[in-house]
This record gives sequence, structure tokens and C-alpha cells, in this order.
Amino acid sequence: MPEIKEVARAADERKPWYKNKLWYLFNSLKLTLAVLITLAVVSIIGTVVEQNLPIEEYLTKYGEKWAKAILFFRLNDMYHSYWFLALLGMLALNIIVCTFERFPPKWKSLLNHKPERFDAKLIERFSNHQTITLNGNSDAVKEKLLNALKKKKYGIVESGTKGDYHFYAWKGRMGRLGSDVVHISLLLILLGAIIGSFAGYKDFRAVFVNGTMEVPDAEFKLRLDKFWIDYYDSGQIRQYNSVLTVIEGGKEVLSKQIWVNEPLYYKGIRFYQSSYGQAWNRVEEAYIAIKRKGSDGVETPVPVKWDTVQQLPNSRYSVKLVGYAADFAYDEKTNQVFSKSAEANNPAVRLEVYDGDKIVATPWLFMNYPGIFPAIPGADEDLVLTNYRPTMYSGLSINKDPGTNVVWAGTIVMGIGFILAFFVYHRRLWMHIRDTGRSTELKIGGMINKNTLVFEKELKEIIESIKAD
Amino acid sequence: MILSLVFFTFSFAFYLITALLYTGFWIFKKKWLGQTATAMAFVALMSTTMVLVTRAGESGHAPFSNLYESMVLFIWATNAGYLLMEFKHKFKAIGAIVMILEFLAMLSASLLPYRFKSVEPLNPALQNKWHWMMDMLSPMGLQNYAIGWLDFHVFTTFVGYAGFAIAFGLSILFIIKERSELRSGSGFMNALPGADIIDELSYRAIAWGFPFLSVGIVSGAVWANYAWGSYWSWDPKETWSLITWFIYAAYLHARVTRGWRGRRAAYLSIAGFLAVIFLYWGVSFILPGLHAYA
Repeated sequence: MPEIKEVARAADERKPWYKNKLWYLFNSLKLTLAVLITLAVVSIIGTVVEQNLPIEEYLTKYGEKWAKAILFFRLNDMYHSYWFLALLGMLALNIIVCTFERFPPKWKSLLNHKPERFDAKLIERFSNHQTITLNGNSDAVKEKLLNALKKKKYGIVESGTKGDYHFYAWKGRMGRLGSDVVHISLLLILLGAIIGSFAGYKDFRAVFVNGTMEVPDAEFKLRLDKFWIDYYDSGQIRQYNSVLTVIEGGKEVLSKQIWVNEPLYYKGIRFYQSSYGQAWNRVEEAYIAIKRKGSDGVETPVPVKWDTVQQLPNSRYSVKLVGYAADFAYDEKTNQVFSKSAEANNPAVRLEVYDGDKIVATPWLFMNYPGIFPAIPGADEDLVLTNYRPTMYSGLSINKDPGTNVVWAGTIVMGIGFILAFFVYHRRLWMHIRDTGRSTELKIGGMINKNTLVFEKELKEIIESIKAD
Repeated sequence: MILSLVFFTFSFAFYLITALLYTGFWIFKKKWLGQTATAMAFVALMSTTMVLVTRAGESGHAPFSNLYESMVLFIWATNAGYLLMEFKHKFKAIGAIVMILEFLAMLSASLLPYRFKSVEPLNPALQNKWHWMMDMLSPMGLQNYAIGWLDFHVFTTFVGYAGFAIAFGLSILFIIKERSELRSGSGFMNALPGADIIDELSYRAIAWGFPFLSVGIVSGAVWANYAWGSYWSWDPKETWSLITWFIYAAYLHARVTRGWRGRRAAYLSIAGFLAVIFLYWGVSFILPGLHAYA
């Protein structure tokens, strides 16, 4: 007895420092179950409490008491709260510890087949086992058995001498590693998400047609060359499209048409079509008509392009289009014109009116109120805004996420892991052939790591092919 | 619209008949009833296939873009999965519960309000085709038949749901059967395979469903990264798919833990499928989000 104690103490001393109670807690499958079920249950909260609303909305929706609780537990941004991340961290630790504990012994046992003799009685302990008596000598039976196993693509080791053979056969060893591969893939995906949250960013920019935008954290600019909408015959929207040009070091590097589902990717940054609209402070062109004193109607309007001078027909005046407000408003304090909203509720354009080279007036023309103020003081001609062509802008989401590739690598590893874990079964068979003199006895038994139904069938097939002549 | 509706109506009747035949087989244990039931399940599968095919012809895109179309896909996948299982393991009596589920699914699809059924062109976010496939098919002028992330994502997800639906049916059977075994049960239950076999079959169904759901989630992430600019945005559909994934991951771990096999695993499987139902119908109707269209 003292010897045993000795051995136990030695084993205790050989234990590395980190194998303490905490380590074994994280090695437990019960913890895995607890964490998984907890994650499932608490994740529901975040789908019921709407995420990332302004604080006032929680107040009006839930009342002060509940809103306080929501903010205290960070239920307004639950999936990024520390406690939720801690749960994910526990799962990750659980995976890491389990892998460290289970993988090395598993790997060793998978590589190491014990070809030495084993106790034939053990075969009968398997729930799947059979003992059959066959005619023919032991070598003939052995031949048949090996053929049947080879046909089923088993690896085989044998030992023993004539009339007393032991066999061990195996198939689908890799299936054992499936769960480890899936676990490692989950760690990779988590790692990718962490990289993304530290090294990446998300942003949004609205760019006018023919306008350029600076890209945050990058050495290049983007220009929007075109924006348009495709429609189905029924009038429903088919697709939003933008043509973007990358400008780097003053040179155009590349041009690409993007749409929803087709982003532009350049130097680690993606640009997505995410919205569109009409500019509130500029237009492509305005249609200006002359109204002469004494006549009721207006003359044919002429298109005036943004920021260019246009001679008016049959007139001494030329005009330049310099301003636009979609929803005209005037701030008396600062003396400034601005747009109250982005909607074209009260569209107005500003012109510079030239008599030769000399500016004679800078009127605002209101489309909804023609002639409310005379455009050119003291002149016989008045100017009217009849229509305009809006400048479109394209809303681009910008996303830089260097973790994405790690996530994708993780998903590929996960796929491999699933195939191994669910569709490759580790089967092991132990067999003993014994010559009893007049006949030969074959004991066969074994196990599978999952899907016993398949195993029963296969064992039956092997035995039948040995029995058959 | 017309042809697919005709096939839908036929399928409706076929599933009712199939469910009755399997139930009849379960109760009366007549061999011919079982054979007819299997044949009828196959007829129903063909008919459901035709609903999908004609619907694709009518809408001009794969029939995966609204609740009605995805219900038909779900019914198709569940039936196909069940028939494969029956073919492989030869247990017929369990067909009763699967086909009753199929009929209920058919019923709920037919009761959907019109706006969930109508043939719609694809909105901008749903238009995704694989370039490599379009390039491959375009020399033959078939580029319109290329598939993309929409098709892949929806298909894999629904194969996953189908696996879970079968597992759900089997888990209910398991609980019933286990009880009757404890009471050394009535003759009615004898037609069923043993509780341990039902447990194993239920596990097999989840062993198919889980990887497919995972592929569905991952392909959704790949696509979201393409269309929305981020592979994961905690949208309710995404979150619920993860909740479901957590539950089935717990199920798989429960099975290798002593004391969690059998009954408790069956409860987890039932909880998992309730989560699937909420993920599929609940989120679409109750929780607003990016997946609003299906």
C-alpha cells in the first residue's frame, strides 16, 4: 500500500502549476452546457429590447425605472456589453481548456494501435459482438476476414501464430478529431471578430455626382461619376447603381460600377451602395424663363448649368447659377440662407445676373412663388424658375475589417470539422480466430464513436461475407 | 401563378393522405398500408418539387424569396429528408408524426395572407448571383440561371430546419415511447422502434441539421458582408439563428455527457425546434429587422 501512495504523490508533484480547481472547472462539459444555455436565453433579451436607440426613446418606451435598469445592464447595446462578452470569453476558455486536456491523449491513442495480444474475452464485453463457428481451417478464415475488412477499407494490425490469430482493425480515425477542429474554428472566428473590432471601422458618406470624398485612414480618394436607379417594368425598384473612381496620388487608378450586393474593394476597404437622395444645396441645372412687363405668359425657359454663365435669349442679360436651397429658409440673425430640410418643400435657386461683365443683381427665385420679388430691380424683364434637375447623391457605407479573412478561414475550418465530426465515424474492431480442431471459431466485436445503427449494419455485412462461400 | 397553385393544392391533399396512411400503418400495422404510405410520401415529394419548379418559372427567380415559397421549400426538404431516413433505416411508423408535421406546415402555408404569397420581383438586396457561375454559363446564354448567395443561404438553412423538424417529431415520439416502455406499454406503441433507436435517429437528424444550419448562418454572413457591409450585425434573425445554434450545440454536448442522454436531450431538441419556429415565423412577424422580407 505505501507504494501506491508514493506513486500518487509523484503524480501530484508532476502536475503543472495551472492544473488547479479553476482549470478543472473550465474542463467540464457541464460548464459548456450551462454557458451555451445561458447564452441562448440571454441573447433573447437583445432581440426584445431594441438595440442602440437614443436614450430618450428608452425613457418614453419603458419609463424611467425600466430605462435605468436597461442602461445599467447595458441592454441597449447588449451584445457589446462586458457581461455578454464575458460569457463569450467563458465559452472560449472552456474550449481552450477542453482542447488542451483532451486533444493530446486522443491524438496519441489514435496513432498508437496496440498490435500485441489482447484478452479475447474482452471482445464479448462490447455491445456489438458475435462468436461464430466456421468450417475450414484458421488460415482460410483469416484470409476471408482480411479480405472483408480490406474491402471495407479498414486498417489492420495482426498478431499471434497459426491457429490463434488476433486482429485489430480501424476506420475513420479522423472523425475523432472533428470536434476539436470545430472548436478551433470557433476560436478563429472569435479571433477574427476581435481583430475587426480593434483594427477596423465603419463609416458612412454621402457623395454628390461628380463630387469626390476623402476616405478615412487611407491614401486615396473616391469620385462618384454616376448614380442611377433601375426599375422593373412594374415600376418597382430593381437596383441602385453608382460608378466610383478611385483616385490615388492625383491619378485615376480604377473605376467600378457598384450596386447593392456588389461593393467596391480597394486596399482593404469596402464601399457599399447603401442609400441615395437629392442634394439640398445644389442642382445640376435650373430652367429659367423670362417674363416681360405687360405680357401674361413666360417665354421658353432655358437650361442653366450649375456654376456656369448662360446668355438669355433676346435679352441683354446673362445669368449664372450659384445657389440652391431645397427647403428655403432665412436666418435673420446671421443673414444666411439655408435649407430647413432635405425635402424639396420650397425649392429656390440663386442667380448672378450680368449686364455684360457687370453684376446687376443676385436674386433668389422661388419655384412655388414666381415673381414674388422682382429679379432685376428697375428692369422690364423678370426671371422665373420653371423647373430644375436635382443633383443626386449616393450614400456609401465604408467598412474596413482586417479580421474578416480570419473569420472566413475559421468558417472553412469549421466546414472541415463538421464533415469529420458528423460524417466520418471511428470504427474499431477486435477479432480473434481460434482453431478448435474440427472447425474454426471467430470472435468479432467492436465499437463506433457514433451512429451505432451504421455499425450494426456493417458488422452484419462483414460476418455475412465471411460466412458466404 | 396558376400552375404552381394547382400543384400546391394537389400537394395539400397528398400530405393529408400521406399523414393518414402513416397513422393507419402505425395503428393497424398492416404492411400494405405502410407501403402505400411510402409511395404516397414520394408522390407528395414530386408534387412539392413541381410547386417549386413552376413557381420559379412564374417568378423568374429561385423560389426562395418570401414566406410562402420558403414554407414549400421547408416542406420539400423535410419530406426528402424523411424519405432518405426511411430508406436507410427502414422504420416506417415514425413517418406518422413527420407527415402530420408536414400537413400542419402545408396548412399554415395555405393560410398565409396574400401579401406573403404573391409573386414579387427580387428587391435590390436580394439580387446576388455568383460571378464565376454567370461567367461559366454565359457562353451558353444561360447566365440568368446562375445561382448566388440568396439561393445557397436559404437552401442550406432550410435543409437544417428540416433536420430539426424531423428530430422534433422523433423527440416527441421518444418521450411517448419511453413512458410506455416504463409502463411496459400498450400494443399501440409496439409498432414504434425502441426508445434508444428513436433517440439515435433523432440525433442523426440533428447531426444533419446542425452542420446545415451552420453553413446557412455562415453563408448568410458572407452574403451580408457583401450586401450590407458587415458579416454580423445582431439583427433579430441573426441573433435567433445563433440562439438556435446554441441550443443544438448544447444538445450535441449533452449527448456525450452522462445523465443528459435520452429524456433531457429530447427536451433540448424540442426547445431547439421551438426556437426554429420563432426564428422562422416569430421573427418575421414580430421583430423588425433586416430580414423583414422573409
